[in-house]
Amino acid sequence: MQITRTKRHGVVVSLVAMVDVLMIMLVFFMVTSTYLDLDMIPVAETGEDTSPQTATDAEATRPIMLRIGADGRSYLGGRAVSVAGLSEQLSDIVRHNPAVEVLVLPSGQADVQALVSVMDSITQSGVTRMRIIRLEARP
Amino acid sequence: MKLARPPKRAAPETIVALIDVVFFLLVFFLLVGRMDATAPFDVTPPIAFEGTDMPGGGATLAVSADGQLALDGTERTRDGVIEMLGERLAADPGLRIRINAHAGAALNTVLPLAAEIEGMGAQDVVLVVTPGAP
Repeated sequence: MQITRTKRHGVVVSLVAMVDVLMIMLVFFMVTSTYLDLDMIPVAETGEDTSPQTATDAEATRPIMLRIGADGRSYLGGRAVSVAGLSEQLSDIVRHNPAVEVLVLPSGQADVQALVSVMDSITQSGVTRMRIIRLEARP
Repeated sequence: MKLARPPKRAAPETIVALIDVVFFLLVFFLLVGRMDATAPFDVTPPIAFEGTDMPGGGATLAVSADGQLALDGTERTRDGVIEMLGERLAADPGLRIRINAHAGAALNTVLPLAAEIEGMGAQDVVLVVTPGAP
């Protein structure tokens, strides 16, 4: 009589443990992730200084001074302008003088949003040269 | 003779599909999420229409509405921030520094800080903004 051995079944690996780990990782990433849609504006450039060198150049590209008051309002040539009005006025200036430079002098009491809004308007108007200047107390 | 029917076995539930879904979700969150240090205080960046996409990496300097500072999620004094950034800039001069200032932060806090960082030799200083509606 021939006795046959019973066939051994392969070891069954339970997938439940793996699913548990995956679920825990999934929940961790869902809970800890915060979705922020952020952009950036460069505030420091180390490019070459392109300031006009000669008197004629300086006359042709005389910079425009734009002041931001402590209340966040912008003043162009001493007159208060709205954000939309500022963009329009600067667009007119750029049409006549594309190389115009805008100097922004913000009040220290103004907030970051006021400065960013003004920078936005300047960029939208087509101005390519803009500087932010800051007054420092003399020691 | 009465023949007994063999008991019906319940069909084994396939959990392979579940694993697939969970795995896809996991990979999605891994790809979409970016680990970033958040400030220990509330920071709502200003809204801008002309911002550009912000790449990751670099040091993040958070400024709260009342002038508190935090570097990479840890609250620090102004001197502490300058010292830490000085060390990091000495090790890596091309380090990007992201100033994540609250929209209501006063410019007399943010601008001198940006100028000082630039003066330390930072070549890439950016202001974090929230994109506005087009």
